[in-house]
Amino acid sequence: MSDRFNILLVDDEKDFLEITTKRLMRRGYNVRNATTCSEALLIIEGDWPEVIVLDVMLPDRDGIECLKEIKRKRPSSIVILLTGHASMQAGRQSMEYGANDYCLKPIELDELIEKIEIAYREKAKTRDISD
Amino acid sequence: MMMILNALKKFFGLNAEKSEAETSSLRRSFQDHYRSFRSLLTANNIALELMAEMEETFGAGQSFSMAFVRGHCTALTVNIYKMVQHLHELSNGKYGGLTGAFNSISVSIEEILARQPKIAGGKFVLPLAEVDIHSTEQAGGKMANLGEIRNRVGLKVPDGFVITAAATKHFIDSNNLQDEINRRLKLLDHSDLEELYTTSASIQQLITNAPLPEDLERLIIDQYEELARRSNSRVLVSMRSSALGEDSSNISFAGQYRTQLNVTDDMLGLTYKEIVASKYKSQAIVYRMQRGFRHQDVIMCVGCLAMVDGVVSGVMYSRSPRDPRSDWIVINAAPGLASQVVDGRAVTDMFRVSRNSPHEVLARELRVQKTASLSDRQAAELAGIAVRLEEHFGLPQDIEWSIDSTGRIIILQSRPLAQAAPVEESGMESIEVDETQPYLLGGGVSASAGVACGPVHIVRSNIDLLQFPEGAVLVVAHPLPEWATILNRAVAVVSETGHVTAHLATVSREFGIPAIFGIAHATEKLKNAEMITVDALGRRIYEGRRDDLLKNAPPPSNLMAGSPVYKLLEEVLRLITPLNLTNPASPYFMPSSCETFHDLTRFCHEKAVTEMFSFSSRYGFDEKGAKQLVGDIPLQWWVINLEDGFREGLDMKDKWVRIDDIVSLPMLAIWEGMTAVPWKGPPPVNLKGFGSVLFQSTMNPSLDPAVRSSMASKSYFLISRNFCNLSVRLGYHFSLAEAHLSDLLTENYVSFQFKGGAADENRRFIRVNLISEILEKYDFRVEQKADALTARIEKKPAPFLIERLKVLGYLLIHTRQIDMVMEEQDMVDNYRKSILADLEKIVKPEKENMP
Repeated sequence: MSDRFNILLVDDEKDFLEITTKRLMRRGYNVRNATTCSEALLIIEGDWPEVIVLDVMLPDRDGIECLKEIKRKRPSSIVILLTGHASMQAGRQSMEYGANDYCLKPIELDELIEKIEIAYREKAKTRDISD
Repeated sequence: MMMILNALKKFFGLNAEKSEAETSSLRRSFQDHYRSFRSLLTANNIALELMAEMEETFGAGQSFSMAFVRGHCTALTVNIYKMVQHLHELSNGKYGGLTGAFNSISVSIEEILARQPKIAGGKFVLPLAEVDIHSTEQAGGKMANLGEIRNRVGLKVPDGFVITAAATKHFIDSNNLQDEINRRLKLLDHSDLEELYTTSASIQQLITNAPLPEDLERLIIDQYEELARRSNSRVLVSMRSSALGEDSSNISFAGQYRTQLNVTDDMLGLTYKEIVASKYKSQAIVYRMQRGFRHQDVIMCVGCLAMVDGVVSGVMYSRSPRDPRSDWIVINAAPGLASQVVDGRAVTDMFRVSRNSPHEVLARELRVQKTASLSDRQAAELAGIAVRLEEHFGLPQDIEWSIDSTGRIIILQSRPLAQAAPVEESGMESIEVDETQPYLLGGGVSASAGVACGPVHIVRSNIDLLQFPEGAVLVVAHPLPEWATILNRAVAVVSETGHVTAHLATVSREFGIPAIFGIAHATEKLKNAEMITVDALGRRIYEGRRDDLLKNAPPPSNLMAGSPVYKLLEEVLRLITPLNLTNPASPYFMPSSCETFHDLTRFCHEKAVTEMFSFSSRYGFDEKGAKQLVGDIPLQWWVINLEDGFREGLDMKDKWVRIDDIVSLPMLAIWEGMTAVPWKGPPPVNLKGFGSVLFQSTMNPSLDPAVRSSMASKSYFLISRNFCNLSVRLGYHFSLAEAHLSDLLTENYVSFQFKGGAADENRRFIRVNLISEILEKYDFRVEQKADALTARIEKKPAPFLIERLKVLGYLLIHTRQIDMVMEEQDMVDNYRKSILADLEKIVKPEKENMP
């Protein structure tokens, strides 16, 4: 696996947030979390974090709007949308706005980690080249 | 190819020697391309797996939900979007038409998924006098039928009115409930019973707590006042669900929703809301899921009927549910109201009455009292009604009736009889049972035929229900309709009371779950977790697992076939799985020909490989040019290094490479399979086989190597450390093996395509059959169309896939000319035997390589 990088989890479902944060940390990732989009935007600073896992429905903002703002603030962000609300249209839109993946809940932790690792690898390598 | 390349370079004035800066920039550009290529392959892998899952689920007859269809379509869209994007990057936007093709296919699928049921008519209430079978879309199936019976058949039904689908929509819309309901349902994990109950309760509460719009409340009260005026009293009413989509043939929805008896006028509004809410009762949610109904397709209408003072009531079937050609009517009757008979609680008398006038009573089984609850005259009159209703509706009927204090027969409901599984309608007929066999319990009635085995789980309360294990036998005191919630996880039902006409019996028959009702003391005599075999037709419960009985059990029926969700998936799949782009050499192999998601994946994959292949020639980039494999090796092979497929320190300017220079894991695995057993040379061909080859060569221009692109005219390995794409052109057939091996399962796969051959169609076909048989033995998912074969394995650990690559390597070498001799069965058997024996030596057994 790649070097343990930093992950920001954004979700308003507290149980999910707590358990997933704990488990990802146990696997060696540095994890912080946020329950709203504005909170997430405050946490994103400089290079931190490499990967953002973002719920599609947040209390203060639609996840796709939040994705747009994250991308505006820091275009190099790797964003994976995670949602319990499967919608083809939302999936397509998220990709168009620069999401790296769009995954459905419930998701096994191992699968989520693979999605995060793959997105990180894909992105990290292209960044090497453009640097 | 190198000569052509050099000639081209000269033609364009490119010097073979490039400056260091140029080379380094090309190297970066190539790396960039390679990343996109890798990502495209991963997306392809995920997309193909999703499509295979959808096809498998569709074909297997297991239940699936709208969430499954929606989830898979969404994941597919995302991954195919990625493929299209990556191909744009790889090809510098050469295939502009792809985005349009992708958008149009996904929009078509979205439209199918979003389709809403039509709601006919704007009236919120309809008196029963204005309702008939054509009002189904307004009044729901049950009330439309009742109106039909009143107004067109001319039988007595209770007086009353219907609160329509439009009214329910008005109620839900004016409180903005639907989005919230949908949100809660989408989050629901159907396999978690506790969550199911919580969600079900919370949605029902949401609905009952919402205020009724004033205009609707007014109309309901007005209708009630009319009813009271016609009845000359402030009658009590029964309120019954009448859902749209209910009561269609073989889909019973038996006992799913709420019925409320003895409702007083001040409770009309609340009861109405409770019945609307009962659409989300747990057993109804599970039932719709099992039978393939979308929640949104079921709309609740509510019938409001004057109570009948039933003296005797019951249920009758116009034919035996076991045999649609049967010549008798089955009547169950008990003193009191009909609801006790259908909810499975009351003890009933059972009558079998001739279908032919004067409707003689053929048999009776009195269980209530010594005297029959029905006179022969009443039984005959009921039978006459059953025949009339069956003739009117054109299908065997399941009828609820009551006889009131004045002796009039009143029909409460009539619907098509569920005949999903053969069933013995009573204990009247003797079934052959081996009487010498010891058994635990026996007797009762066979409520749903079949044999099943599982551990006992006794359910007395909802708490027991929550702990119900998958695959257990449900043992209960009474067959209450609410137990239907767990019928999708039970293998059989045993009840101390009840009979074939109970709702739970109907649903058991539909689900194909064996059920015996009326086994006294079952909940005391059977112990939790004890393994039993239930033989419903023999009405016996045996200790332990009885394979001798289980082998006679009928195969489960496909519950989903023909249901709305099934049809929807069928429709969606038509835009997803068919593969129209099969031949890359065809002029129609282009973006505008892509009609399905599968076409898009095929196109993107093919073009991505071609782009990678031709990078060096496009940019005059020798480093990534093809090198010929040299050494003591069979046949001729060329290798293109995509990234890190060669050992470090190899001089990239060399035109040759040795197998020792290769570090690509998948290529080495294929190579091992190719060289493990020396090829014995071409098989001795008889004249007939050889003649067939000559004939095929003149008939089929695609067999002429010159027609294919340069890529297909030789055998190439495109490799990196973790990846290998091998296209093989051996004689007259073409095959393609591709694999990615890494530590992430999501990226891992082996795929194989095989087509053609020199011999005639029949021989080629026999060979492909043999190859697919062998591949299936080694865990490949194989698809075969005529003489073309595709095989795939995905998301397995690398060591497992390495062994499968050896199999492919072996087959590529050793099956190449056997089509010539594939005529006699003996010969085929000999080849199969020798191939399997060789493979056994080459492939490590599973235990050693599965982690």
